[in-house]
Amino acid sequence: MSKYRVVGNSHPGLSVAEIATGRGRYTDDWKLPGMVYGMILRSPFAHAIVKSIDTSEAESVPGVLKILLPWDVPSKRYNCSGNPPSPLLIQDEPILTDHPLHMGDRIAAVAATSRKACREALMQLKVEYEELKPVFDVMKALEKDAPLLHPEIGGSNLVKTMEAAEGNINTGFEESDYIFEEIYETPAIQNVSLEPNGCICDASVPGKMTVISTSQTPFQERRILADLMGLSENNVRIIKPFMGGGFGERQQLHSQPVAALLSRATGRPVKIIHSREEQMTASVVRHSTRIRMKMGVAKEGLIRAMQVEAWYNTGAYATHGPIVVAAGSRKTNYRIPHYEFKGHCVYTNGPVSGAVRGYGNPQITFARESMLNMVAQKLGMDPIALRLKNHVQTGDRLPGTDHPLLSCAVNSCVEKGETLRKAIEEEDMKNNGQQGLSHPEKKAWGVAFCCHTSGPSNREGMSSSIVMVNDDGSVNLLMGSADIGQGSETVLAQIAAEGLGIGLEEISVTAADTATTPYDTGTFASSQTYVGGNAVALAVEDVKKKMIQRLSEIRKLPPSDITFENGRFTVSGPEGLEHLTLKDATKQITFGAGGSIIAGSSSYKAVEAPPPFAVCWAQVAVDMKTLSVRLLNIIEAVDVGNPVNPEKVKAQVHGGVSMGVGYAMMEEIQVDQRTGKQISSDLLHYQTPLSRDMPGIHVCLAEGWEPSGPFGAKSVGELATVPVAAAITNAIAQATGTAITRIPITDAFRPAASPWPKRAATESPAVTSEKEGV
Amino acid sequence: MREIRIEINGSNYTSRISDNLTLLDFIREEAGMSGTKRGCDSGHCGSCTVLLEGRPVYACITLAIQAEGKKVTTVEGLEGDAAGQLHYIQQAFIDHYGIQCGFCTPGMLMVAAALLEEKPLPETEDIKAAISGNLCRCTGYTNIVHSIRMAAEDKLKQEGGDE
Ligand code: FES
Ligand code: FES
Repeated sequence: MSKYRVVGNSHPGLSVAEIATGRGRYTDDWKLPGMVYGMILRSPFAHAIVKSIDTSEAESVPGVLKILLPWDVPSKRYNCSGNPPSPLLIQDEPILTDHPLHMGDRIAAVAATSRKACREALMQLKVEYEELKPVFDVMKALEKDAPLLHPEIGGSNLVKTMEAAEGNINTGFEESDYIFEEIYETPAIQNVSLEPNGCICDASVPGKMTVISTSQTPFQERRILADLMGLSENNVRIIKPFMGGGFGERQQLHSQPVAALLSRATGRPVKIIHSREEQMTASVVRHSTRIRMKMGVAKEGLIRAMQVEAWYNTGAYATHGPIVVAAGSRKTNYRIPHYEFKGHCVYTNGPVSGAVRGYGNPQITFARESMLNMVAQKLGMDPIALRLKNHVQTGDRLPGTDHPLLSCAVNSCVEKGETLRKAIEEEDMKNNGQQGLSHPEKKAWGVAFCCHTSGPSNREGMSSSIVMVNDDGSVNLLMGSADIGQGSETVLAQIAAEGLGIGLEEISVTAADTATTPYDTGTFASSQTYVGGNAVALAVEDVKKKMIQRLSEIRKLPPSDITFENGRFTVSGPEGLEHLTLKDATKQITFGAGGSIIAGSSSYKAVEAPPPFAVCWAQVAVDMKTLSVRLLNIIEAVDVGNPVNPEKVKAQVHGGVSMGVGYAMMEEIQVDQRTGKQISSDLLHYQTPLSRDMPGIHVCLAEGWEPSGPFGAKSVGELATVPVAAAITNAIAQATGTAITRIPITDAFRPAASPWPKRAATESPAVTSEKEGV
Repeated sequence: MREIRIEINGSNYTSRISDNLTLLDFIREEAGMSGTKRGCDSGHCGSCTVLLEGRPVYACITLAIQAEGKKVTTVEGLEGDAAGQLHYIQQAFIDHYGIQCGFCTPGMLMVAAALLEEKPLPETEDIKAAISGNLCRCTGYTNIVHSIRMAAEDKLKQEGGDE
């Protein structure tokens, strides 16, 4: 039982009834008076030059209002990332281009009175292309004769190299008894939010613009669009309606600048909704990586050194690339005295990469946790014991970072998860361990650990909130942070209700509307509960302080005689103690002597970004003949501090696990190297887990408490997905004796060339050197 | 172009449409009901699932003319026993955390409604099979499967209790 009334108790969500009845209005469900439609003509080639565009036939399609070509739009380049401004956000993206750099790049756009007319017009646009040589591989893109994607930026396709270090890496390897080295590869994957990206831009009133869009970062979207349109921010209003998932994808602007220009040109509100094909080819993907991981370990199992060199494929435009790379360098959950991270962010003609749940972390975690399995095998140690021996604890720092951890409940994660795992095993033993097994199948468990962050790990998270107490004592909570379907509005309302001593039903939330709610950096870096929650908690404190001040003025008592505890005000007056609920106090303040309006506000800048921790176990059954893999069970134990809404935390983990399952087993954006075309252009050619692909998912919540969090809370959203792939591949490795260095494995897994641990020191890239005498 | 009539949630909608208009467009644009979602428009995600004469179909790859004169049920047509009350499956999705972003929810609800009509107490595997054409990116299906099972159990309990 929670020690709080509202926090720690689950609630299914403030808007679930609207959703369940189909009344929740998502972007495409909005229609504005006079609204027309927009569509974008996209490059069929990964690299080309547009020689000419003949618009004559397209223009004569009935209903067509405007056609925009690359030379009709401002030449100003921008960065579509919804991160706060940073010199790392290189402005390399044109609104429309005559030099497409990836399949799906925006060439031209049309506005018309119907979607059908838009489609027809796009078909009638005659574009003459000259194909250029594309480059898709990061290593090839760095070669001297590679086609240069952005000559305006520099003489190479290297966007930036991000580094982090701790100790001295050479010393670390000298201190090690074993050195392991391996190359790992991870794929580009799509977010596959079920709702496609969309927006309605209304610039029909000159000098003003209103945008309804699938935005995780309305305030950044406002800044970028205001700049592109030459407007001041007060004249740009971004409204985020119901949203069908996000997972990072909507931390970028997609069609908004085009819709804004079309709206200005036609004087009508313009709606652009991505087709699924546009989602697949022209919405950001997770960076594919090639990771060289080198680890030095002392014989008793202490990691002395970890050296990472990683190449992140950022695709045709930089977007967040360098920040994603840097974020990956700050998520190592072990005490490693000598650490070196070098991450290269590289342009290619592949799909544009950006923010996807985990933001640079799942890649490195896959490599690191796969290697730790190798280490455990080599040292004959239990993989959990090895990890716990090296794991950070409260007071430690993550390598490459400078703030000591205020909380870490990894031991509780292990304890709870292991108890559950044993229960599953025992149940299984009742059936001789053969439950659900067909003949040549072998069962095995694998494990992986990780951490993530609560708010941007560069500590740039900011949020603010306004609490308005109405004259009946009910509350309107205004906040800038965007609920993208994960339930953050509910969690933040819980935090407010707890602080004010009222019920959740007495609070209404208005969020993510730049005209009516205060600033928030945006929904990314799993910020909402921690950064947004702290902002709400501060606004609650502010309102209580103001109410105490007013009560003291009315009663002519010093403010120190009035306190707020256990959900009510206590006044120590001359007649003894008097208790007032928020409602009672409000009555006295608003219409009582003097009358006053009750509103509190806050501005919160995150000084910490406390990592939540996760431990994940996967149980697989591998058919030893065909080597096809079935997932049986996944357990994930998470330390999210004190969970504000435990059932919703679990639900986040369920979803995170399914994305991890996809990452390990099946998801990959594939580009045909011969034709340069992206094959994964719809949901038939890009598989995501469906109900029958999912194993049993079991979630444990560790006993955690984060002192800097609102009511002890940390984050969960991204964390859940990070360790899953490695847990699965480690289980497969356990069953087959073959280390897996590349995901996805696809469901008909075939062993790689050399099985381990038989890989000898001499021939092996896995164990490159083994010192004498150990 | 031709004029057709479709009965959606008990009301008749008549419209002049072209033969290639999909049922999804008919529902969203002609009938003006936005509860049915468009996730892919190509029959791969299930978010547009509606019931056509009680059977689930993907509205995005069903032509409106295929539904001519027939009964279509969308999420807006799900109702509880009493006025203003939620349908018991909707309530179960709420009570058992089957809803996150909610974009898959209308489709899932319609599949569940058809399933429970046919099989009042489905096993987990039946439920997984029934929703295997509906993509959800948020829930890992865990709470959706659970919600459907609980809807079935609660309903049976309630009916048993009423007797
Ligand atoms: S919208 Fe119909 S199946 Fe996806
Ligand atoms: S709840 Fe978001 S797609 Fe299912």
